[in-house]
Amino acid sequence: MLIVIAVVCTLAGREFLKMYEPDEIIPGPGVTKVDNLSSYSGDLAGTISDTKVYVLDSGKPGATALVLGGTHPNEPAGFMTAVVLTEHAFVREGRVIVIPQVCSSGFTCTDPLEGYPQSYSIQTKSKIRSFRFGARGSNPLTEWPDPLVFLQYPSGQQLSGNEVRNLNRSYPGRPDGTVTERVAYAVMQLIERENVDIAFDLHEAAPEIPIINAIVTHEKGKDAAASALFTLESENLQFALEMSPPNFHGLSHREWGDRSAVFPYLMETSNPIQGRLRGVTNEALVVQGIDRKYFEAAQIGSMRITYDLEGEPLARRVGRHLRGLQALLGAYMESTPEKRIVVDSVPEYEEILARGLGDFLH
Amino acid sequence: MKRTSILIITAISVLLIAATTILFPQSKPKFDQPVLITSAGQSADVTIAGMIFKRANVQAKAIPLAKAADLEGVKTLVVVAGFSSKGLGAAGISREQELARVQSILQEAREKKLKIMTLHIGGKARRGNQSDDFNKMAAEVASYLLVVKQGNEDQFFSKIAAEKKIPIDLVDKIVDAVQPVAKAFEK
Repeated sequence: MLIVIAVVCTLAGREFLKMYEPDEIIPGPGVTKVDNLSSYSGDLAGTISDTKVYVLDSGKPGATALVLGGTHPNEPAGFMTAVVLTEHAFVREGRVIVIPQVCSSGFTCTDPLEGYPQSYSIQTKSKIRSFRFGARGSNPLTEWPDPLVFLQYPSGQQLSGNEVRNLNRSYPGRPDGTVTERVAYAVMQLIERENVDIAFDLHEAAPEIPIINAIVTHEKGKDAAASALFTLESENLQFALEMSPPNFHGLSHREWGDRSAVFPYLMETSNPIQGRLRGVTNEALVVQGIDRKYFEAAQIGSMRITYDLEGEPLARRVGRHLRGLQALLGAYMESTPEKRIVVDSVPEYEEILARGLGDFLH
Repeated sequence: MKRTSILIITAISVLLIAATTILFPQSKPKFDQPVLITSAGQSADVTIAGMIFKRANVQAKAIPLAKAADLEGVKTLVVVAGFSSKGLGAAGISREQELARVQSILQEAREKKLKIMTLHIGGKARRGNQSDDFNKMAAEVASYLLVVKQGNEDQFFSKIAAEKKIPIDLVDKIVDAVQPVAKAFEK
């Protein structure tokens, strides 16, 4: 009996430790520098909360954009969009800084009781690549235990205790705070030091949540967002526009906008594996996004988005993020023509649907 | 025999309604400036409506939280219907307070005999229980309804338009709303 227990524990332990093996992200020809987030807040160095920062610099003057993926590691479209940019994009004017796994420690575990897969695979031209599917927040082991009530710094806003590990409630962060606050602080430092002009925080949400397929904007970026929405709609991509609530603190689109010169945008796609109606929760649901229950919900008019039998595949969600990002960059340049930023080799929405996500990864 | 009679009467009624609609369509009113755009539900669609009016070359002032007093000197009130929890949070008011504000400004507009143009441009995202109180309130008093089709898949706005005899235009996309807005303000 003891031998059986030892074998089970060893196997389970090996599976658990696999989550600590970093994902392979292969810098493409557009990457001119690879840095670490700890360069902006030294305490993170050597911890599982440090993460790679990829710089794609055209060498020509222009605006600087920041793209964050993996704020919530259980929202893979944000992460994969950042990976596609890192591996495939080429910046012709201005500069793009990409952090694919900004909440790096959140990729080392999954959320309890959700039955999430530990990873998912994508077939590229040359091989099958596996990526970790993480948790919503930082790994609890980095800052255990969660408080009963999370007092957001510096607003004092009260949130439920587990939100203490939610990076998107932790801005502006502080250098001597919790691990999550230190990551938030490092991002704020990067925005300041690198003079970031426009920034994107890429997310996903359950299909039944009202705020999906949406662009959330700080008030200073609303005109550019409305203009981008017109462009996207003319391409048959519907996005809802949402305003960042000024009294809801800790969110990227609020604190970045209030505390720096940056134009911040958060984008949401629809991710069935996060939803409460979902059935079988596995790797296929991450990648293909097909769930019969959501289709049935759409049939009886309970969904606010179109959901058909094709589901919400990861390729489509990444395509939406990429196209939304390009449209917002275009609208930003319209409003500030002196600050240009041109990104080439970004797959078009239709192209990524037709060819698949793997075609745009190494 | 009785069933045949019912069928004939129903068929004649349908034909009469169709003929009336074709021969005597609800005439679209002409709208005048100055224009005030407000929200019913505090969605950011009010910003997009501002863009529509800009592209239609119609000058309009947008006040998402406009009150009755803001109607002074205004000739057309444009109401952009659709609920947003983020928008309400941004405005710092409750849903009930927003319902009361919208009710009040619509009543004042009617007392002043202003023309009311109601826009619903947010599609499915601005439908459902939370939105539909605002949608109904703004649609029922409109002089003209302009709706993006995706928000009318269940004929919600078409039914109100038919019942209240309000002229309605359904457009495929938000960008298609520019032309009808420009036309409505043509001299």
